[in-house]
Amino acid sequence: MNRVKRFFRYDNIGYLFVLPAFIYMLYFVGYPIVSNFILSFQDVTVKTLKAEEKPFVGLQNYIELFQQDNVLTTSIWNTFIFTVGCLIFQFIIGFALALFFNRNFSFSKPVRGLLMMPWMIPITVTALIFKFMFGTDVGIINYFLKSLGIISQNIDWLTNTRTAMGAVIFTNIWIGIPFNMILIATGLTTIPTELYESASIDGAGKVQTFFRITLPLLKPTIESVLILGFIYTFKVYDLVYVMTSGGPVNSTHMLSTYSYKLSFEMFKYSKGAAVANILFIILFIVSLLYLKYVYTEEEA
Amino acid sequence: MGTEEKLSGRKNIVFCILSIILLCILLFPLYWVVVTSLKTEKEIFQIPPTFWPHILNLKSYMAQLEVGDFNMFQSFGNSLIIAVGSMLISIVLAVPASYGIAKYHFKGKRFIILCFLVTQMLPVSVLLTPLFIMFRNMHLYNTYPAAILADATIGIPFSILILKNYFGSIPGELEEAAYIDGCTRFSAFIRVLIPIAKPGVVVCGIFSFLYAWGDLAYGMTFILDQEKRPITAGIFNFMGQYGTKWSYLTAFAVVTIIPVALIFIFMQKYIISGMTSGAVKG
Repeated sequence: MNRVKRFFRYDNIGYLFVLPAFIYMLYFVGYPIVSNFILSFQDVTVKTLKAEEKPFVGLQNYIELFQQDNVLTTSIWNTFIFTVGCLIFQFIIGFALALFFNRNFSFSKPVRGLLMMPWMIPITVTALIFKFMFGTDVGIINYFLKSLGIISQNIDWLTNTRTAMGAVIFTNIWIGIPFNMILIATGLTTIPTELYESASIDGAGKVQTFFRITLPLLKPTIESVLILGFIYTFKVYDLVYVMTSGGPVNSTHMLSTYSYKLSFEMFKYSKGAAVANILFIILFIVSLLYLKYVYTEEEA
Repeated sequence: MGTEEKLSGRKNIVFCILSIILLCILLFPLYWVVVTSLKTEKEIFQIPPTFWPHILNLKSYMAQLEVGDFNMFQSFGNSLIIAVGSMLISIVLAVPASYGIAKYHFKGKRFIILCFLVTQMLPVSVLLTPLFIMFRNMHLYNTYPAAILADATIGIPFSILILKNYFGSIPGELEEAAYIDGCTRFSAFIRVLIPIAKPGVVVCGIFSFLYAWGDLAYGMTFILDQEKRPITAGIFNFMGQYGTKWSYLTAFAVVTIIPVALIFIFMQKYIISGMTSGAVKG
């Protein structure tokens, strides 16, 4: 007893404070990650879900997925297209808006605040709104495009294999803009004003100032925005599931939606777990990059 | 660059007008869903579309007050229970943990922080199947606690990472003064430190609530009965069955947004601080 008491004197008392949360996360996150790996090496379906002994099949699920199932390769490909498409546009638009609202005018703060709204809305609702707006006959987007003379016939955005991905990316860009804008705006405030003053004394133009001062000094912010954006976008689930459920003809299936379909619509739990693991491994590698980056920043 | 001189005169007006135009474009989808929910089904399909309801129709909201398959207010209540429950778990566990991390130097601390950071980046897909099996074995499947326990796993790491910065910024002298006044470590934590870190606790509460409120995957997978499902899953069900009943669907969407909008209006400063400190610093 005394030894226990002595251990928790001074700094080790910190364990007592951290432990409850740590154990909770270990039980509801750590353990499931491990059991997801095990599950992916077994053959668990509805029939074997309750069995004591679950058949071990090694890498068979992965081999089958890669060799026989071209939906997997489509999903991997789709997830990358989706992520890169979203990142490029939401970053550029977010950056432009951050620069715009960085000017000090009467409405800059309140309007910028209101623009955060899309990020807060439950994704299910956003998906519903855009599904409505992308509707073939009822949708306002077709109406706008037609009145502008860009298209002459209604496009069936979400039920056409050629346009569905674009529509889903468009929606996710709308969600991601505020996130990019606010992080870049915060980064901009860390650049000392004196630098801009001395640059303008030296006769530097606006474009030159942007490329020589703003961009280089913003590099750490830009890197973390892009890596975080990649992680958040790559694991997209709700948005695609509600808007298209992966269709039409798998053209918008992501790793997450395909994993869900395998597990909870086809009840091939092990296959679903294997796809989720592929998603996990890709994200884990990117997360490590991010962490390495965060820690080198802190030490610098 | 943050302290740039205030624009004056015409330039100021031009920028203000531009910003309003941007606002109208970017928030148009939200305007559109509210307007649509107030139209009649016939007016929704009218071409050219009307940009405000010519006939005000509240039926879409009233119809869902009645008892039926899709009782919007039942699922609204379910979402409240789930979101508040998961918020409480997050706060009760995250507040002491973040204090422990911020104020004590113990072995393995860095590793623990790392673990919390990594869980923030996890895709739900990895946890869905194993948690589903786990909750079945625990006989929690198809109950509120299943969704509550799962949703809290998003709120906890986020809250810890934010709050550790708040506790870290409180000077040690304050704590020492409390010890001199006869406080123990625990009573100093509860009586002195938590009140000071209150703004941080509010940020964590808001975000834990919002994460759970917006969740679809856990609520839909771990709860089977429509009467117990959260509002997001309710919307998804409704879409599947009445895909083109847009008046009802948009009304459903507006009701789901209401709590978010209220939080947004009254606690905006907390939200922005949460977004920036949570994401950049980790």
